[in-house]
Amino acid sequence: MELPYKQYFESMPCYLTVQDKNLRVIEANRWFKEDFGEIEGRYCYQVYKNRSDKCEVCPVERTFRDGQRHSSEEHVKCLDGTEVSVIVYTTPIYNDEGEITAVMEMSTDITEIKALQKQLRESRQLYQTLFEEVPCFISIQDRDLRIIHANRLHKEAFGTFLGCKCYEVYKHRTEECYPCTVRQTFEDGKVYSHEEVVTLRGGETMNVLVHTAPIRDATGEISSVVEMTSDITQIRELQDKLTSIGLLISSISHGIKGLLNGLNGGIYLVNNGMQKDNRDRLEKGWEIVLRNVSRIRSMVLDILYYAKDREPMLEMISIDELASEVCSIIRPKAEEQKIDFICQVEEGIGEFEVDKQAIRAMLVNLLENSVDACRVDKKKTSHQVRFEIKSDLNDIVLIAEDNGIGMEQETCDKAFSLFFSSKGNEGTGLGLFIANKIATTHKGSIHLESGVNKGSIFTVKIPRLNITLIESKPEHKK
Amino acid sequence: MTDKKTILIIDDEPDTFTYFSTLLEDNGYNTIGAENGDEGLERVKDSTPDLITMDITMPKMSGVKAYRTLKEGDDTKSIPIIIITGVSDDFRDFISSRKQIPAPDGYLSKPIDEQEFLTLVGKLTSGS
Repeated sequence: MELPYKQYFESMPCYLTVQDKNLRVIEANRWFKEDFGEIEGRYCYQVYKNRSDKCEVCPVERTFRDGQRHSSEEHVKCLDGTEVSVIVYTTPIYNDEGEITAVMEMSTDITEIKALQKQLRESRQLYQTLFEEVPCFISIQDRDLRIIHANRLHKEAFGTFLGCKCYEVYKHRTEECYPCTVRQTFEDGKVYSHEEVVTLRGGETMNVLVHTAPIRDATGEISSVVEMTSDITQIRELQDKLTSIGLLISSISHGIKGLLNGLNGGIYLVNNGMQKDNRDRLEKGWEIVLRNVSRIRSMVLDILYYAKDREPMLEMISIDELASEVCSIIRPKAEEQKIDFICQVEEGIGEFEVDKQAIRAMLVNLLENSVDACRVDKKKTSHQVRFEIKSDLNDIVLIAEDNGIGMEQETCDKAFSLFFSSKGNEGTGLGLFIANKIATTHKGSIHLESGVNKGSIFTVKIPRLNITLIESKPEHKK
Repeated sequence: MTDKKTILIIDDEPDTFTYFSTLLEDNGYNTIGAENGDEGLERVKDSTPDLITMDITMPKMSGVKAYRTLKEGDDTKSIPIIIITGVSDDFRDFISSRKQIPAPDGYLSKPIDEQEFLTLVGKLTSGS
């Protein structure tokens, strides 16, 4: 090799070799010799890879074969044992006759690039895993609000088909929502968050908290927007529950104040009756005391029932016995108010499968309401409360009917709502809510028919055998 | 012939009416009763009472509406009204801060203090 070319050859910042047909290294530059040692009589595969045979795929051989340049990526081992990743290029060297007499091989150290590539791959893998497995719904949207990426949870919950519009997937809508925080983020690059109710693929709704953030390309332009959505249904339910508890406390406090006032009234009449030796007044006062104590008792039981989410304890019970127990509680209350109380139970009605304590509480509640509706009615001279139990195909029908003050349609509509009471200071708005809850827990129903000054009829239907309930709650099977 | 003052008790709860009417009658007043706002307004038309005690939460016409009607009526606005209720004391601030209607002449929370009640009734009826 002539001098200047020899110098270039030696100084090239890569490994340079010239190999013959047998892959023996006949020339090597300085860098190569420093890292791989002397080449005298040694073959490429021995020097580079410490192998005894040539490699299966060899770019030098290929160049000898076809005269073309070839390249490959290889792992080679230096004298000191360091492993180096190289990219290999080969080129043929011709003699004057145009024959390939040797092949020049240039190997560039790409170890750092390889390490960076590995890091990049691992990092990409990490972010991919994070994106897929993070416990919230993530979608990436383009300027047309099309979902271009979505994570696993998102696809599972919304059944995302990439390319669909956000509002089609989240809201089953055909038009863009207003305002749209993704659109806002595209416009001003700011992060937005808001609450939404979205619809899942199965049609269920979910309360969610949505965050949007811009994704910028290399030029700093917003190329897409990421939308991260968290399920806050449980938080909302908890908030509702806390609100309910607040309302409950306010309602109870209101109710108790009214009852205490009534109780004070009874005590005043009792004391005054005793002082004046007025027996009528004393008896009247005592009645008031008893009535208000009984109301406080019902209120406390209602609160306990509401506070405790009770599972129904099903058992086959005699309907006659149940009716008799309920009548023994209601009849004295009705008689005290000079209300005619009628109990009609279908002959041979038999048994039904219920939570006895709950059904009894429900019936007492309904019939106490009937008695109260008559007690406060001043428009009629005689009052009647009728309690009827009959069978209807597979159901047992329980009826509480009165000819008391009755209710307007609006009151009827709200009657079973939590904390709604038409009884002013006397009610907590729990009684009928709980009665409804008991009926529905038994897979039954409750119906109210009423007219102002005409009276009210509560009709409860409970299946005689609670098969569905037993199947879904096997732990209570008797 | 009597110079007894007449007090109209508007309350839907019969025990409360019995209590208030007995207490007031024992202390030298005449009482008449109404179980809701509607009926209360009718009673006022029949015989102008010297004082009205009124609950707030009642079926049919609520106490708030009845109170407003009474305080807006030329013939009725001078009748003193004591609101007696079990709802929270926030309501007192609410009803006292309305621009359209004056604050109630008296406001008591249930359960009432008998002496406080009688003193207030005495004070509000002494000028009539």
